[in-house]
Amino acid sequence: MNDTPNNTPLLRLRDVVKVYDTGDVPFTALRDIDLDVYTGEFVGIIGKSGSGKTTLINMITGIDHPTGGEVVIDGTPVHRLNENQLARWRGRTIGVVFQFFQLLPTLTVMENVILPMDFCSMYLPKERVERAMDLLEQVELADQAHKLPAALSGGQQQRAAIARALANDPPILAADEPTGNLDSKTADAVFGLFERLVEQHKTIIMVTHDNDLASRVRRALHVADGVIVQEHVHRPRHGA
Amino acid sequence: MLSPRWRKVARDLSSHRFRTALVAVSIAIGIFAVGVVMGGREILVREFDTDYANAATPGATYYTGPIDDAVVRRAVAHPDIAEAEGRHEVTLRYRWRGSAAPATLSIVAMRDYEHVTVQKLVPQDVTHWPLRRGEIALEGSALQVADYRIGDMLEVETADGARVSLTVAGFVHDINAVPAQFTGTETGFVAFETLADLDEPEFFNRLVITFEDAEMTREEASKLAADIRADVLETRGVTVYGTSVPEPGSHFLGDIFKAVSLLLLALGVLSLGLSGFLVVNTVSALMAQQVRQVGIMKAVGGRAGQIARMYLATVAAYGVLAVIIGLPTAAYAGRQFTVFAAGILNFRVSSYTPPAWVIALEVAVGLVVPLLAAIVPVRMGARMSVVRALNATGMSATSFGHGLGDRLLGLMRGLPRPVALSIRNTFLRKGRLFLTLATLTLASAVVMSVVSVQASINRTITNLESWWNYDAQLILGQPTDALALEREVTGMSGVAATETWSGHPAVYVRADGTENESLQIIGLPHDTTFVRPRLIAGRWLEAGDTDAVVINTDVNNDEPSIALGQRFTLDVMGEERTWRVVGVVSGQLSGAVIYADRDSLGDIVGDPGVNRVLVRTHEHAPGAQQAAMEAAEEALDAAGYQVVSTRTQSGLSGTIAEQLGILVTFLVIMAVLLAAVGVIGLTGTMTLNVLESTREIGVMRAIGAQHRSIYQIFMSEGLVVGVMSWGLGALASYPMSWLLTDALAGATGIPLAYEYSWPGVGVTLAVMVFVSAMASVLPAFRASQVSVRDAIAYE
Repeated sequence: MNDTPNNTPLLRLRDVVKVYDTGDVPFTALRDIDLDVYTGEFVGIIGKSGSGKTTLINMITGIDHPTGGEVVIDGTPVHRLNENQLARWRGRTIGVVFQFFQLLPTLTVMENVILPMDFCSMYLPKERVERAMDLLEQVELADQAHKLPAALSGGQQQRAAIARALANDPPILAADEPTGNLDSKTADAVFGLFERLVEQHKTIIMVTHDNDLASRVRRALHVADGVIVQEHVHRPRHGA
Repeated sequence: MLSPRWRKVARDLSSHRFRTALVAVSIAIGIFAVGVVMGGREILVREFDTDYANAATPGATYYTGPIDDAVVRRAVAHPDIAEAEGRHEVTLRYRWRGSAAPATLSIVAMRDYEHVTVQKLVPQDVTHWPLRRGEIALEGSALQVADYRIGDMLEVETADGARVSLTVAGFVHDINAVPAQFTGTETGFVAFETLADLDEPEFFNRLVITFEDAEMTREEASKLAADIRADVLETRGVTVYGTSVPEPGSHFLGDIFKAVSLLLLALGVLSLGLSGFLVVNTVSALMAQQVRQVGIMKAVGGRAGQIARMYLATVAAYGVLAVIIGLPTAAYAGRQFTVFAAGILNFRVSSYTPPAWVIALEVAVGLVVPLLAAIVPVRMGARMSVVRALNATGMSATSFGHGLGDRLLGLMRGLPRPVALSIRNTFLRKGRLFLTLATLTLASAVVMSVVSVQASINRTITNLESWWNYDAQLILGQPTDALALEREVTGMSGVAATETWSGHPAVYVRADGTENESLQIIGLPHDTTFVRPRLIAGRWLEAGDTDAVVINTDVNNDEPSIALGQRFTLDVMGEERTWRVVGVVSGQLSGAVIYADRDSLGDIVGDPGVNRVLVRTHEHAPGAQQAAMEAAEEALDAAGYQVVSTRTQSGLSGTIAEQLGILVTFLVIMAVLLAAVGVIGLTGTMTLNVLESTREIGVMRAIGAQHRSIYQIFMSEGLVVGVMSWGLGALASYPMSWLLTDALAGATGIPLAYEYSWPGVGVTLAVMVFVSAMASVLPAFRASQVSVRDAIAYE
């Protein structure tokens, strides 16, 4: 089924179900999801509002817990971890990028990038600054390093958020509508950044409802009513 | 280099200056309240006890005929007496700085001011010590009633009517002197040689002693005092007019002091609890505001423990700031409070330093209480799941709409939409609402209770005024003919009617031979219209009553064996006689008084003369009473009578109100502090409600709400909380004010007539509306300034 770089999936979901208790009638957001993602893949999760795509990525990032089923990432049974274990695991394994950037407003761009290293005790303190600067250079924000997020444009904030997501050099990047709050030119730049990361063997899972962007990812999963209803695999434009 | 998370803590503190100031001030208010109240109380108790212990308070005072040094030496040699001293005391009238109306001065002359061993004096501000002839040192409490200065001349009127000038040489402190503000009588000390200038005989007429055994009960002390009286004085032929034996080890203001101390303790505990509430409220709200950032930090790898430590550090920083603000302000206010209280209660303070444990408690309130209060909200916030934290938009983060109360609120119809929104918003964050309501309800209940206590005091005084159907009273030094005395005053301008009474100290001789010398017997016409007695039991005096008396409740409280229908023996001016109690009337705050027919009393003491003139005036205003009294005194002076003291009814009412007012003052301080805590609490709550409602505000703005509408919604929310607190406070204030009045009556020994103040309830509503409006105005303004863009971008 998949055009995979190797035979062991980096990320494996089996029979994943998510039911929300909304008061009167329980709402099933995900139904028996099975999914394998391999290292170096660029996966797009596409669907309409309310289809369950954000819930699906939240299962992968451990931001939310499945009601049933298994989520195993790089050999770790994520569904069995408690909040604290999840936080440390996520900090080292998955970089999360949000639609609304979610930079901490009282920290500079550089400090926002260092924060995950600080929390997860990654790298020596003096190395953290160098690494943050390298990452900011990668996202072309080195000259903005010491500014507060409020001084940056939306596109710059999202690039800073991507740099932060890469802080601990995680193998996986999970992005929920990362371009949803950006104009098309800036969105294109951010997407280009993701493509370069894939070239560097990062695995990227991105939620989007933008069909143009969806056509540019290597593998597109179409979600509707909590089920993966369709999957498209595109020919890679750059070798993966 | 500081790591980013600690930088975040630092920046959160510095960039949200208003919030930082609000939280620090909230905690500082708690430190302040605890510091002032607990520190003040400890200093008061310590300094009062020290001052009192050093004063060598008399175990007994004998009011005697002439005694000399030989009698005093005999007393000193008595095995049961530790120290003894003779004094000459006289009450005279005087004028100061040319004042038209004379006032009463109690003059004490001692032989040796440098070696006082009983009822010691402490020179406070005197040009020299001991005093020289022609000088007077006023007891320090005189400064509470008038602005006396060193070098002032007091023109004292001697018993013969001559006027002698005494120079004020300074001020001395005597903790055992009744403060001038309570009696309207100043106390002054003069050299023994000055007595000659005042036409006073140079002998002692008081013997003050301290007992060897300081641990006796009052009964034991009374019995010993009676034995000493017989052994030391009467065997030497000294006439003893009376003996005063106070409760051993107990200051005469001790009951009021205990009541004040108790109130302060209650206030301290209350402040501690409320500041804890305030901190819980503030920290909970802080966490609610930061929940999205907690979500982000957890999303990038932050663990609950790391995040909790960050917020606990934030709270600790607030605490340190609060301690920096609270400690010095509490120390300053505590000093002012102590000065104020020491002035009222007339004691000397040698050190204003609070005990170390109070400072430790203040630091604990500033640092430990906030951290303890923060544990639960910080733990809850830090442990919140990432998805819940990130989805917390304000609108979805609450659980409004599920409970019965919420549904009832939802059923409210016909209200303008913004008002309905304000009312429902009030109940959106129930935990915070509860804490804010608890603080403000307590504050409003205390305010209403204090007003009711004041109303009860006013009613008690009104009852007294209705008992006394006269306007002024003049007391003479010697008994005189009633008709001649009345003739001098009757018909004077402003005087409607006069009556004359006789009044004498009376000694109750108990069955075991001990005596109670704190009674007073008043002889008055049985058909007098100058009092309107409120009978509790029995009847008033009637024509033909020769051995019948009416007692007031204070007599029965002092001596339970003197009751309706009982016979008892009384020694009046050396004449013992058995009386029969035919009626009991309520006390009039003038101590234990026995009423007898004037003529019968005259027959018994062998002197039909009277020594009191009562004047009823046409006008009852204080000015008219004073004018009539001064005119009467002038007329009596001119006619050669020696007036030793005067009082108007308004003056007496004022003095009683002042005594009780001390306690009301402390209650008012308590209410103001609680109200301050409440206002800060409500301001914090409203500020954080606004912050949490930023998205709702954005939505409302997006659908057309103008600045004014948003402002009104949040102002209304604050007012709803204020009015609810008032309503709950009003319910609580009835039992609270009753208990408080009862406690005050018990502490002071003054029976207070309870009155619940409905006007106070109305005034408190106005106060609560004002206070709520003040607390809400800034948060509401901030809410009105939120733009749609800001609201949507709000994190």
